[in-house]
Amino acid sequence: MSRINKNVILALLTLTSSAFLLFQLYYYKHYISAKNGAGVSKSKGNRIGFDSTQWRAVKKFVMLTSSQNVPVFLIDPLILELINKDFEQVKNISHGSTSECKFFCVPRDFTAFALRYHLWKNEEGWFRTAENMGFQCLKVESKDPRLDGIDSLSGTEIPLHYICRLANHAIHLVVFHERSGNYLWHGHLRLKGRVDRKFVPFRKLQFGRYPGAFDRPELQQITVDGLEVLIPKDPVHFLEEIPHSRFIECRYKEARAFFQQYLDDNTVEAMAFQKSAKELLQLAARTLKKLGVRFWLSSGTCLGWYRQCNIIPYSKDVDLGIFIQDYKSDIISAFQDVGLPLKHKFGKVEDSLELSFQGKDDVKLDIFFFYEETDHMWNGGTQAKTGKKFKYLFPKFTLCWTEFVDMKIHVPCETIDYIEANYGKTWKIPVKTWDWKRSPPNVRPNGVWPISEWDEVIQLY
Amino acid sequence: MDDWKPSSLIKPFGARKKRSWYLTWKYKLTNQRALRRFCQTGAVLFLLVTVIVNIKLILDTRRAISEANGDSEPEQDYDEALGRLEPSRRRGSGPRRVLDVEVYSSRSKVYVAVDGTTVLEDEAREQGRGIHVIVLNQATGHVMAKRVFDTYSPHEDEAMVLFLNMVAPGRVLICTVKDEGSFHLKDTAKALLRSLGSQAGPALGWRDTWAFVGRKGGPVLGEKHSKSPALSSWGDPVLLKTDVPLSSAEEAECHWADTELNRRRRRFCSKVEGYGSVCSCKDPTPIEFSPDPLPDNKVLNVPVAVIAGNRPNYLYRMLRSLLSAQGVSPQMITVFIDGYYEEPMDVVALFGLRGIQHTPISIKNARVSQHYKASLTATFNLFPEARFAVVLEEDLDIAVDFFSFLSQSIHLLEEDDSLYCISAWNDQGYEHTAEDPALLYRVETMPGLGWVLRKSLYKEELEPKWPTPEKLWDWDMWMRMPEQRRGRECIIPDVSRSYHFGIVGLNMNGYFHEAYFKKHKFNTVPGVQLRNVDSLKKEAYEAEIHRLLSEAEVLDHSKNPCEDSFLPDTEGHTYVAFIRMEKDDDFITWTQLAKCLHIWDLDVRGNHRGLWRLFRKKNHFLVVGVPASPYSVKKPPSIIPIFLEPPPKEEGAPGAAEQT
Repeated sequence: MSRINKNVILALLTLTSSAFLLFQLYYYKHYISAKNGAGVSKSKGNRIGFDSTQWRAVKKFVMLTSSQNVPVFLIDPLILELINKDFEQVKNISHGSTSECKFFCVPRDFTAFALRYHLWKNEEGWFRTAENMGFQCLKVESKDPRLDGIDSLSGTEIPLHYICRLANHAIHLVVFHERSGNYLWHGHLRLKGRVDRKFVPFRKLQFGRYPGAFDRPELQQITVDGLEVLIPKDPVHFLEEIPHSRFIECRYKEARAFFQQYLDDNTVEAMAFQKSAKELLQLAARTLKKLGVRFWLSSGTCLGWYRQCNIIPYSKDVDLGIFIQDYKSDIISAFQDVGLPLKHKFGKVEDSLELSFQGKDDVKLDIFFFYEETDHMWNGGTQAKTGKKFKYLFPKFTLCWTEFVDMKIHVPCETIDYIEANYGKTWKIPVKTWDWKRSPPNVRPNGVWPISEWDEVIQLY
Repeated sequence: MDDWKPSSLIKPFGARKKRSWYLTWKYKLTNQRALRRFCQTGAVLFLLVTVIVNIKLILDTRRAISEANGDSEPEQDYDEALGRLEPSRRRGSGPRRVLDVEVYSSRSKVYVAVDGTTVLEDEAREQGRGIHVIVLNQATGHVMAKRVFDTYSPHEDEAMVLFLNMVAPGRVLICTVKDEGSFHLKDTAKALLRSLGSQAGPALGWRDTWAFVGRKGGPVLGEKHSKSPALSSWGDPVLLKTDVPLSSAEEAECHWADTELNRRRRRFCSKVEGYGSVCSCKDPTPIEFSPDPLPDNKVLNVPVAVIAGNRPNYLYRMLRSLLSAQGVSPQMITVFIDGYYEEPMDVVALFGLRGIQHTPISIKNARVSQHYKASLTATFNLFPEARFAVVLEEDLDIAVDFFSFLSQSIHLLEEDDSLYCISAWNDQGYEHTAEDPALLYRVETMPGLGWVLRKSLYKEELEPKWPTPEKLWDWDMWMRMPEQRRGRECIIPDVSRSYHFGIVGLNMNGYFHEAYFKKHKFNTVPGVQLRNVDSLKKEAYEAEIHRLLSEAEVLDHSKNPCEDSFLPDTEGHTYVAFIRMEKDDDFITWTQLAKCLHIWDLDVRGNHRGLWRLFRKKNHFLVVGVPASPYSVKKPPSIIPIFLEPPPKEEGAPGAAEQT
């Protein structure tokens, strides 16, 4: 072994080993960011530069959509929240001047985007391009709920969700569909038999657990972390909508079965009533929405929706429920302003409040205020002649959106419990004579108003 | 380094060697050079370890990544499902390379069975006469087309020739005759059958029975024939049993470039036959048309509902013309198919459009009417923001400027409450009675055949009252009833923007089509600028009519209006004639006039307050009903309105008014 030889070997070894050291450094970085992406390591190393998998996936996705002219907008609650906190700053930053990846590099499993389906010109082509760019995409389809209401139509399935994975990050593209009632709807992400359940951690998805309904958002373009994206113009409103967006479809099939058994009332009077009740409901909904008061379909109107997806033609009024904590004193004047004078007012804000307004064509609008107890809810009733009080008990419920008479409107999510409380197990059988003091199974006598209070708690106009 | 040290512990074994080694080491330690040596060895060792650690790290990361991508534990069900599916699919198409085909031909019954499955059976009385043709895919044995050509009747053999020529080479053709198939089987058709290799086909005689199986452009696979012994009797029933060898899938398919469009084309062409060059291997006709966009297109976001039944060839022709029209937006189109028919759905998929099937309810006209209702409701549900919908039918050709025509006129529907619809069809617009593509009319009748419906009209008035299934009404007749129309009018062009080509239909037959639809004028000029659209509004139109009538030259009322000479041989003049019309619903003279002018006379169409407008010999020709029409004031006192006697009662034209 000559010395020169040894030196050569030494030099070679040093070279390879430094090369390997470089490799090591590179891989280590990857390894960490990948771990972050999978949500495994919750280490402090969050502030990674622009090469995090999240950012790169989002960047590719934004490139893909803009090149195909697909107007997606960001709806990811986590990121919208961050953007919203920093809104002024985000707005001021001009293109490309960002030094730090603040939003899209935050560790998470998904980034949620949305798209209004009818603006999507070339879905198939888009899908191919996405796959060519390295995305692995999962498409969730379903039948079109907008055809459900119509007898015996079956169409091409519509896309509801796309989940496109790039390395360890996934883009969740929620497909919004236009619905009658001026709102956007997205479907339930239901995995069919053949789908790989571990494609992505589905449980962590922010959208798709239930169908959802949203107001159609206006959009604005901003530059976030060097990427141009569309976001809702009013991110706060959108963020508020998310937790309460659950939507339930009317049970059209059951409603058809109901009409097969009991036949629809097609008389001129019935249709005239339905028309004016519908107009009254739409007017009331508009007025309450303007006031910002939450309300839902109650009593007969709710039963009509649930049982026959329509207004019950022989009901004489439109019934709405409002939580007493949402009560606003200007409700009465607001209704008066739109041509619905107060007909009577029973009870008071503290107890058993109920308002009635006189609509056109002798259709009445009843608003019941609901009071919450620890294990149930109730609303009150008052008999004008005797001053007797009644209490109607309901199991606790939350509110969901549904579509009714061309409107997005609230109903109790636990509809069946609500209806059975009010109408008993036989709610499916139409009853034309109904005594509000005796018929409901959930009515309880609740004493009598003291005569001294009558002037206040029984007001008839 | 740790591995290194313990070596001194293994002293007992090979002690001598170790010791000498140890000694050398000791010696070298004392030496400067030895120290350097030691450092060198150490460095080399360190480097080696780094290399090993590195390699290990690389391998680890590799595995981690591949795990993340591949999801090391795939769902059990998924794998099983796949495993179960694969072999069965292979079993289905793999080993079996021969089909056994049975074909039966007789006076009252025909059937065809492929591998024991009956694919055609017709023993209905008074139906299905002629040559039944079935096309099978040569690779899969699937039925790709099923047709019957009543070659007892005239012209049906031409349709058969057309069809057989469109079938791709290599396909399996099956023919069988029911009742009679030779009476109008002309030489061209016979020559074609001969070219297919048939012996008996070209010689097919009166009431012969005949069954044939062959490959297009290839060998005959079986043929049976039985001559009819006498004019009054039929040939004996024949039953042909034959084996058809299947060819490989690659042979059956064309090698088109792998594009999105060709994928759709391939799917289509492997399923159905009889669409001609769309499935041609060499030079397939395009299925995407990208016509020029319309500048300032007001109907870009108006949904288009195509109402269809089971006439896939019509639908194919219709969609081609629709997708070629300027300003079309394909994603706004929905095809509503009345029934669970596969082939129309295939056609819809070929063009990449949205198709919706409708479970048939009710019968005949009521079924059509219920289908219309469901389709219209669905259209407004699918496009909740739309204020209008374009309604088309599967048997229409759409003019190249259809959307341009609508884009220029749709604002009228918004601004003028007295309008009921805009229609692309002029009932009276025949080759000899229509002239000016830029001209629009207001008419009291609803022509249909390509029209625009206002959402508010549908939702508020029509939908709630729509005739229920038990009422066997035509939807269009119902829409024309005064209760629905309520005095409102439709806008129509002088030259129609749609053309009704359907011959087979619910209310249709060849004679009827020839008499009333074939000679209809159809605009083929792109980008026609409509003239004076705002003059179509209610008041403005009255002013326009008064102006026209004041200008018009009164024709010689002593002449016979049915004679060609009734109008002078001029060009570009406006003429007026006055006919007798006692009351608003007295159309006796008009109907006679319409009859001799060879225009629509089955009911009254195209009138506006007792006035009809059409063209004769390139002159604008106005007809005013006196005294019912308010325009009667324009009649010079000396003129006596024309009266035409209705012919004595006899059998009228066949059929009721066509559904339009």
